[in-house]
Amino acid sequence: MSRRAAHGGPLGGHHERPDARAKVAGSTRYVADLALPGMLHAALAVSPVPSARVARLELAAARALDGVEAVLTAGDIPGKNQVGVVFPDQPLLVEDRVRMVGDRLALVAARTPEAAWQAARLVQPLLEALPGVHDPVAALKPGAPSVHESGNLVRTFRVVRGDLARESARAHVVVEAEYHIGGQEHAYLEPQGCLAIPEGRERITIITSCQCPFYVQQAVARVLGIPLAAVRVEQAPTGGGFGGKEDYASEPAACAAVLAFATGKPVRLVLPRELDMQASTKRHAVVVRHRWGADRDGRLRFAEVDTVMDAGAYIGLSTVVAERANVSSIGPYDVPAVRVATHVAYTNNLFGGAFRGFGAPQVTWAAEATMDKLARRLGIDPLELRRRNVLDDLRRRTSTGQLLPRPVLARECLDRAATLAGWDEFHARPRAGSAAAREGMGIGLALYGCNLHHGGQRLDRSSAVVILQADGSVVVRVGLTEMGQGNLAAAQTIAAQALGVDPAVVQVWQPDTTTVGDSGPTVASRGAHMSGLAILDAVRRLRTRLDPVAAEVLGCRAGEVELAGGLAFVRGEPERTVPVARVAAEMAARRIEGIATGWHRTKARRFDPETGTGAPYEFYAMACHIARVKVDADLGLVRVEEVSAAQDVGRVIHRDALEGQIQGGIVQGMGWAISEELKLDRGRLANPSFTDYTIPTAADAPNVKITVVESEGATGPFGAKGVGEPSLIPTPAAVRNAVCDALGVEIDRLPLTPPTIVAALGERHPFAWLLSEKQVDDHERLATVDRDG
Amino acid sequence: MAERVTVSLTLNGERRTFEVPPGRRLLDLLRDDAGLIGTKEGCGAGECGACTVLLDGSPVTSCLVLAASADGHDVVTVEGLASAGRLHPFQEALVTRGGVQCGFCTPGIAVTGAAILAHREADPSEQARLLSGNLCRCTGYTKVIEALQAVTGMEHE
Amino acid sequence: MRVGLAASRYLRQISTPGAARPLGGARVDVPVREVLRPGSVAEALEALALHPDALPIAGGTDLMVQLRNGRKYATALVDLDRLGLAGLQESDEGITIGAGTRMDAIAADPRIRRLYPALAEAAAQIGAWPIQCRATLGGNLANASPAADTAPALIVEGARLVVASTAGTRQVPVEEFFLAPGRSALTPGELIISVRLPSPELGPGLRAVERFVKVGPRREQIISIVSLAGRALVGTDGTLFEVRLALGSVAPTPVRARRTEHLLTGRRPDAELRREAVRVLQDEIAPIGDVRAPAGYRRIACAVLLDRFLEEASRG
Repeated sequence: MSRRAAHGGPLGGHHERPDARAKVAGSTRYVADLALPGMLHAALAVSPVPSARVARLELAAARALDGVEAVLTAGDIPGKNQVGVVFPDQPLLVEDRVRMVGDRLALVAARTPEAAWQAARLVQPLLEALPGVHDPVAALKPGAPSVHESGNLVRTFRVVRGDLARESARAHVVVEAEYHIGGQEHAYLEPQGCLAIPEGRERITIITSCQCPFYVQQAVARVLGIPLAAVRVEQAPTGGGFGGKEDYASEPAACAAVLAFATGKPVRLVLPRELDMQASTKRHAVVVRHRWGADRDGRLRFAEVDTVMDAGAYIGLSTVVAERANVSSIGPYDVPAVRVATHVAYTNNLFGGAFRGFGAPQVTWAAEATMDKLARRLGIDPLELRRRNVLDDLRRRTSTGQLLPRPVLARECLDRAATLAGWDEFHARPRAGSAAAREGMGIGLALYGCNLHHGGQRLDRSSAVVILQADGSVVVRVGLTEMGQGNLAAAQTIAAQALGVDPAVVQVWQPDTTTVGDSGPTVASRGAHMSGLAILDAVRRLRTRLDPVAAEVLGCRAGEVELAGGLAFVRGEPERTVPVARVAAEMAARRIEGIATGWHRTKARRFDPETGTGAPYEFYAMACHIARVKVDADLGLVRVEEVSAAQDVGRVIHRDALEGQIQGGIVQGMGWAISEELKLDRGRLANPSFTDYTIPTAADAPNVKITVVESEGATGPFGAKGVGEPSLIPTPAAVRNAVCDALGVEIDRLPLTPPTIVAALGERHPFAWLLSEKQVDDHERLATVDRDG
Repeated sequence: MAERVTVSLTLNGERRTFEVPPGRRLLDLLRDDAGLIGTKEGCGAGECGACTVLLDGSPVTSCLVLAASADGHDVVTVEGLASAGRLHPFQEALVTRGGVQCGFCTPGIAVTGAAILAHREADPSEQARLLSGNLCRCTGYTKVIEALQAVTGMEHE
Repeated sequence: MRVGLAASRYLRQISTPGAARPLGGARVDVPVREVLRPGSVAEALEALALHPDALPIAGGTDLMVQLRNGRKYATALVDLDRLGLAGLQESDEGITIGAGTRMDAIAADPRIRRLYPALAEAAAQIGAWPIQCRATLGGNLANASPAADTAPALIVEGARLVVASTAGTRQVPVEEFFLAPGRSALTPGELIISVRLPSPELGPGLRAVERFVKVGPRREQIISIVSLAGRALVGTDGTLFEVRLALGSVAPTPVRARRTEHLLTGRRPDAELRREAVRVLQDEIAPIGDVRAPAGYRRIACAVLLDRFLEEASRG
């Protein structure tokens, strides 16, 4: 066990994650590993077309199939047919209008999964195709088919700050660009699923793979028409989330709940991979237009950003994603005048939602591309251009006008990443010249607003329960979820550090809506922060009862009691000790309350949604990634050889979990940047499988170098900030900039697949002449299957 | 379908016999009939590797193997990697080196990793290539390869 | 927006209510009524003859996926595992590979690696390791995908398939084996028994160069966007003799580029000849745009692969 010089205890150490041993042995039970006697299997009948009116649903054949116990449609929902997490625009089951491929038409419960899915296929929908819209920019033009009666523009968010006219006049170089940025599929290894266990038609338990049991609780209570307290949601061990199980998990849960109430039996639903990929939420595809200007010295003067987000058929979390994208559009740079507009558009495409970074990766990719373009136009090294503009301890105002507290670590991260990457050495030596291996290096720099945006304040609270057992072991419950990122380890570590005990005596159990208060979703890199602060609050309250007992045993005053190394001791007299376990036994014997709850909520802050100015986030974390790539220019193949990462984390809670997050975020970001493409054909995903939606394998992993920047003053537990998303956001930008550096060409389309790269090379490609000679159809030339109808 | 097939195989070192429908996948025989839930289904199409088991010592995606085809053969699942009550050294290394996050890919990775070691492949790039059929979305693979390297060359029966 | 013809047909097919579509959910058990496990080739052939709705299954790495998503349908499966069709046999004429030989065995076999490096490379790049431990040579061929990786390699190596039925055996040159996407020259009831590879042609003072390359969106576990196998005998001055070229994923079947071969035979591929070869090659392929890549990219990738093969071959 590692000890920290200043404080001692497990904080910052390498101790085993509490869930790792069971997982590696294969004994951890995920949803699909749970079964109850009499359990039924659920299946979904969904629409194969993106836009239609439902004339009729033929259910007879499905109902007649042997083993089928229920086939339900919208009319069978006992409560409200509504699952929209923010806006009520989304039915659980389609009533008369299909708006996306994968829209649910009917639910089936049967005694075997074969029968359930076969019955789902036997549901015959009579659909009358309606015109659909498949381009978010076109969707906002007059005359576009409306996805909802309210029109296709959901909302526009803005940032308006500074004197644009004056700053435009001061700019000598102006870069204009239009970026087409594709979406991303989470590709968690465990598909979405849940188990619903009814108690008559009064109460229900849902065990689900999810990031927010409270969202699930709300959705299930709504569709069943029962009070929240009658719905118990327990988070099952969850095989990956990344945002894809933030709100979407409520949908399978509501389906299973309705079937469970209808049949009176437990119902398990596990989505087949293809349906999961088609119908569940995705990172938003966006189109970003830039007009940025800098003066001769490379100082940014103004930045105009216009972003259109493809929300898909339902709003879901799109407005929340837009809020973050909106205020993250400029990056950690000092820009006197900014105009940002972020439009959310309905289409009949894939369902846009939360995905690690939550709008920031897209706008950061664009911002960093524009910075590199400016650098090239000005003839300034891209690293130097960033140094000249980055926020620091003197220039502390973000693009929204928020004053950052010191230390502002953007420059520190930039410099440390550059040193790690060997930026100067790389640029000093001659580059490998062959077309099969062109080298390049590129920077991605991001400023990440930790925790929830001002618009989500009402959700930004967290609950914890700590129970000191009679033998000195400790039960901890929190409302934030473990999905692989290490929240269990963080909670365990923080509780152990605060109680002065070995992490091995602290048992953190899965979140359950009947044991903790609503703590909001595990997103926005807020898990460790919110769990930790709530745990610390609970420990404080527990100690109001524990310390006096320890003091009695030790013969001192309650205020002199310290806890460390499994012992209670007198401050200043470390040899006067008693084991914490003995104090616990004493408390139990005296019937003193050994259970304490904890609560944390973020402080209110000022933000004006109209102008996008003020303090959208409580605090910020910086991250800089520098990627080194080798590109086979003739084939357009990118090999990311190395990524150097500098992360501003405040305080390390668990070192292995931190490194794992960074390594994982880099690879997930890299996949989005170069090999993951959602190939849409009028709203239908043409590659809904791991075969053709190609995420990185072990053979693709780059060498990752990490430098962790710790600092004092952050308000998280022991000064920790979040790292879940800052570990991904800068990578795709760094990769794009490295590829463009290698090839000497601008690429404004993501992902940088082989056809996209070859297309960007245009006439410079040694075989470009082939295509003009061959008279290949223009669309066939080099564009992939695209979104427009 | 009244027909059943008899599948007799050596499963984690033990001779077992099952009567299953002819179309049963080995994956479902292991999970539902033998109750060994460690082997996972991530895609059902042999592309993610979460269902990897050893068939006669070689890693295979059990979602693509008919249970009937395993008749007469030797199958080892993640539950069978341990011996004498102790985890396989690679499993132990995954734990101590932080190579486990959400855990869903982990059983498949443990099985393929054990096979890589049994085949005595020591080069880390080659190990990564052999692991490329086991997708992981959480770790970025670095600590997985580090764990494998840490136990490369160790003896384990 | 235009999508390749095959792709739009596929999309229409899977959009029709009632047709099998991957979107509708997974089968769990494969819907067959019987699995037959014959112990000899004769038994297997008899079983296939008796059950017209039965399909043979070996590694199952393609067939299980197709049965699962409804693209193929069978009431019974005939398991080929016990037919003793795995293994290599050497003779004076060359090597015979049993159809049941797994890809990992082919990739690792020192004789294949030395004498038929294109086949070894192809086998080592099919899917990933767990797929290679299961997939068989016969299965890869019988599946008759235009992207079958072993096909271009076997074409340049001059392979012949030995095919058997209850009526007897026959040999089919691998080039004549593929008829259309998913359709081979196998008639109902026929099984591939083995693949015969002739001893590699050599010549006095000539060096043999044989390569297989595939292109995909990441380093491993890819279905080829394009693939190329090339074999040439090269003289000391870089002149090419006995050139053989075959490509995958650029036509409805694997393609042998005879006209390009003819252009190159007996000549030294300088920059001008390479350019001409690339141009001639374009007329021998008919790539479509599909979910994996647009047609234009496939044309370019083929050109690059051919150019690189020729450049490497002609170097001393």
